[in-house]
Amino acid sequence: MKHSFIALIEDKCTSCMLCVRECPAWCISLDSHTIDVTEEGARRPRKVNVLDSFEIDYSLCMYCGVCIDVCPFDALAWDEHRALVTTNREDMLLGIEELGPSGSS
Amino acid sequence: MSRSFTWHQVEPKDWRDKIGESRNAGFTFFDFLTGVDRENVEGNQMCEVVVHLAKADLSESHFISTQVLNELPSITDLIPAAQWHERECAEMFGVQFNGGNAKPLLRHENLGRPPLLKSTVLAARVLTPWPGGAEPEIKEDGRKVGNASRRRQRPPGVPENWLKP
Repeated sequence: MKHSFIALIEDKCTSCMLCVRECPAWCISLDSHTIDVTEEGARRPRKVNVLDSFEIDYSLCMYCGVCIDVCPFDALAWDEHRALVTTNREDMLLGIEELGPSGSS
Repeated sequence: MSRSFTWHQVEPKDWRDKIGESRNAGFTFFDFLTGVDRENVEGNQMCEVVVHLAKADLSESHFISTQVLNELPSITDLIPAAQWHERECAEMFGVQFNGGNAKPLLRHENLGRPPLLKSTVLAARVLTPWPGGAEPEIKEDGRKVGNASRRRQRPPGVPENWLKP
């Protein structure tokens, strides 16, 4: 496995903010909101975090992998593809869509 | 080819003697001299200085280290090649090498604190908002939803009152 990209597996992310807070380069940002989910047979609705946005700024990321290590749900993983090579810094800010693991899209 | 490495921890007063001894024993290849910030280790306000000397065929290596407060005798008369490294170490870790070349290497003289010490505050960190400070459970109007944490978060490795001006 090449350590050339950090992919987000969106379904596993619980918006716990651990990766954002541990990142030494401060390159991850995340926003979420909470919804109530009522399951059949449950006494009261369950609170579930819904991920609204997740961004990695690859112009700051130094590929240390701390975010992958601290994620308790394995929602971040090393991946083979690469962040864009570009002359525009804004192109290096990747959101949920662009961060999917290779082979998923 | 097998290589052997030996570590030697010495007192600052034995620093020059030990290095001279190793050099005379055939460890004539000077690889590097560098500092390691030990400030937060065991509560000591100390920096470690390490030298790597090897035999010319690289079959054996000596790592010689010492704990210093802020000054150490220079070894440039024993090993002239160490001068560049001592100047770098002085600039980056604030260790004064007595008897060496005190001319700054890359930075302007007296330009802030030595940048490789852990206690040196990075100004850019104060000016940049920390993304981890965001609390998704606290809305912009201050309303709390879900399990908002009671404690204010701060970046790991950053001193407590650091972000306050």
